[in-house]
Amino acid sequence: MATHDTTHERDAGEAQQAGRAARGGGWLRQAITVLISGALVVRGVRKRSLRGIVMAVLGGAILVRTMGITPGTGERERPVGRAATGGTEVTRSITIGRPADELYEAWRDPGTMSEIMGHFAEIQSAGDDRLHWTVHGPRGWEASWETRIVDDQPGELIRWRSPTDAMVPNEGVVRFDEAPGDRGTKVTLSISFDPPGGNIGEAAARRLDLVPETIAGEALSRFKSLVESGEIPSLDENPSGRGSGDMV
Amino acid sequence: MKALTWHGKQDVRVEDVPRPSLVNPNDAIIEVTATAICGSDLHLYHDRIPSMQKGDILGHETMGEVVEIGNEVESLEVGDRVVVPFTISCGSCWFCEEELYSLCDNSNPNAEIARSMLGHSPAGLYGYSHMMGGYAGGQAEYLRVPYADVGPITIDSDVPDEQALFLSDVFPTGYMAAENADIEENDTVAVWGCGAVGQFCIQSAWLLGADRVIAIDRFPERLSLARDHGDAEVINYEETEVYDRLMEMTGGRGPDRCIDAVGTDAHGTGVTAASDRMKQRLRLEDDRPYVLREAIKCCRKGGTLSVPGAYVGHVDTLPFGALMNKGLTVKTGQTHVQRYLDPLLQQIEEGEIDPSFVLTHERPLENGPEMYETFNNKEDDCIKVILRP
Ligand SMILES: NC(=O)c1ccc[n+]([C@@H]2O[C@H](COP(=O)([O-])OP(=O)(O)OC[C@H]3O[C@@H](n4cnc5c(N)ncnc54)[C@H](O)[C@@H]3O)[C@@H](O)[C@H]2O)c1
Ligand SMILES: [Zn+2]
Ligand SMILES: [Zn+2]
Repeated sequence: MATHDTTHERDAGEAQQAGRAARGGGWLRQAITVLISGALVVRGVRKRSLRGIVMAVLGGAILVRTMGITPGTGERERPVGRAATGGTEVTRSITIGRPADELYEAWRDPGTMSEIMGHFAEIQSAGDDRLHWTVHGPRGWEASWETRIVDDQPGELIRWRSPTDAMVPNEGVVRFDEAPGDRGTKVTLSISFDPPGGNIGEAAARRLDLVPETIAGEALSRFKSLVESGEIPSLDENPSGRGSGDMV
Repeated sequence: MKALTWHGKQDVRVEDVPRPSLVNPNDAIIEVTATAICGSDLHLYHDRIPSMQKGDILGHETMGEVVEIGNEVESLEVGDRVVVPFTISCGSCWFCEEELYSLCDNSNPNAEIARSMLGHSPAGLYGYSHMMGGYAGGQAEYLRVPYADVGPITIDSDVPDEQALFLSDVFPTGYMAAENADIEENDTVAVWGCGAVGQFCIQSAWLLGADRVIAIDRFPERLSLARDHGDAEVINYEETEVYDRLMEMTGGRGPDRCIDAVGTDAHGTGVTAASDRMKQRLRLEDDRPYVLREAIKCCRKGGTLSVPGAYVGHVDTLPFGALMNKGLTVKTGQTHVQRYLDPLLQQIEEGEIDPSFVLTHERPLENGPEMYETFNNKEDDCIKVILRP
C-alpha cells in the first residue's frame, strides 16, 4: 500500500508538536492547522511553492486582519462554510447551475472523480463502486487506499468510506439539494481524514500535506467548472520565466 | 518566445520563455501584434499586488492573430484578428449569464487563494498575480486565451490596432465607470485621475449625458488632454485645494457623480499621506485611499461614487461616516469587458470615437522595461504605451 510508514519516519519535531497538541488540545496545533490548513495551502500536495507565496501574501498584520487570527493565541474565526467538527473534517458547499440528477450522475462517474480530485490524488476505478486513490506527498511520501460507496441515494447523496485500517482512514459524503430561486443545485461535500477512533490517520494526513479544507474547496470548484463550462481552468504549460507549467 | 516578466519592485525584464500551448479544448493561441501597458500594471510594478512570482509574464491588454484553436472553439478561426478582454470568463456560470464577466465563478484556477483574501474569487485575469488566476500575460509574442468563444472579439474591419486595442480594457473601463456613476440630466461629473482610464471616463460621461465634466490630476499634459480633447474643466490638485475648488465650481453642492480613476497608488501629500505610506511599509494597510477620501468628502449628498481605480486589500481612515450620512452610493468592480465589446467596437467603426487619442508611445516589446519606467514616472509626457512584439 504505502511506500513509507508515517509513524516510523516522523521526525522528532513533529512528534513533539503532535504531542503538545494532543496534550493541550493546544494553541500550537491550532496555529499550525491555521497556517498549513484550508485556504492557505491552496493546492496542498503538489504546489509546494504556493505555500510560500500565500504565506507571504498573508504575512504579518494582513494575515491577522484577513483571516481573523489573533496573534499569540492562534485562535481563528471559523472560516466560511466550515463545520465545527475539528481539524481534519470539513464541510463546504457550492452552488452549481445544473439539476441535481445531472450532478449526481457526474459525481458517480469515476472519470469525473479522477478529474475533479486530480489536484491532490490519482483516482482509478476499482470496480463495484470502488475507487483506488493514490496521493503523492512532499519528499516522496506516497499513500494509497481504496474507498467504497456505502450509501447511494440517486439524485440526493453519495457516501464513500475507506476501510478502517487504511493508511489514511477517510470518509466523504456529497449531497445534492435544490438551490433556492432556480439557481441550480447546492452541492455540499464533507470529507474527513480522521474518522472517529483513529488519530494515526491524522498524522499521516499531516505528513502527506492533506488539508481537507483545501481538498474540499478545490474539488467543489473543479466539479462546478467542469459541469458548467466543460473544462477545469488550468495552468498546465503556463509559460513564465521559470519555465512551462503551473508555478514551476 | 520573448516576454516581459516581473521580477519585483520596479524590475521588469525581457526574457526568453517557453511558448504557450493549447491546454483546454476551449483555448486559442494568439500571436500578439500589439499590447499596452496599463495603470494596473504599475500596481504590480510597485509590488503592491500580492502573490506575484519572479518570472511571471505581465500584460492584460492584448490583441493579435489567432494561430491555433482548441477543438471545441467555434467562433474563431486561425487567421482571425482579435482583441482579447483582460477578464477571463467561462461564459456559462451564473455571473457570466448575468453579464458580470469579471466575477466569473469558473475561470480562476487559484480560486482558493482569492477566496481566502476576498471571501470569494473573482474571474481570472491575464498577467495579474496568482491570486487572480496565475495566467501568463500578453506582453509577449504569444498568448494562450482560455474560453476563446467568450472573450476575444474579431475585428473584421480595417480599424487599426491602436484604435481597436483599447477595447481590451481602458475604453470599456472608462465606459463602465461612467455607467456606474448613474449620470442623469444636468449632472456634474468629477473624475479623479487623467490617465487613459480617466480620459475614457471623461469621454463616456459626455456620451451618457453629463452636463459638466471636471477632471483632476497634476500632470499638465494629462490635464491638457482632458481639457482640449475631453472638453473637461480641469483642476491641478497640486495648485489648488480640490474640495474648495469643487465647492466653488458647483456652488457648494459638490459634484453629483464622482469617479476615482486613480486607485491604490494615489499620490498624496501631508500628514495622512506620510502615515499611509508608513502603514503600507509595515503592512498595516494595503492601499492609499486619498482619492477615495477626497471623493467621499466632495460628492454631492445622495450622489454616486464610481470606483474603477484598483484597490488591493484594507484601507484605513476611510470616512465611512460621511459616506453613510451623506447617503452616497458606491459602485465599483473590475470591468465586465465582454459586455461592452460589441457596442464600443461599433462606435469606433462608425467613427464616433477614436480611442487612440490617449496613445503617446509606440515601441518594440524589447523596450518594455524602459517604457515601464517612463510610464511610471510620467516622463516624456507619457500617457499610454503600446508595445509591438
Ligand atoms: N476597474 C478596472 O477594471 C480597471 C481597468 C483598468 C485600470 N484600472 C485602474 O484604473 C486606475 C487608472 O489607470 P490608468 O491606466 O489611467 O493609470 P495611470 O497611472 O496612467 O493614471 C493615474 C493618474 O492618476 C493621477 N493621480 C495620482 N494621484 C492622484 C490624486 N491624488 N488626485 C488626482 N489624480 C491623481 C496620476 O497623476 C495619473 O495621471 C488604476 O488604478 C488602474 O489599476 C481599473
Ligand atoms: Zn488594464
Ligand atoms: Zn463564468
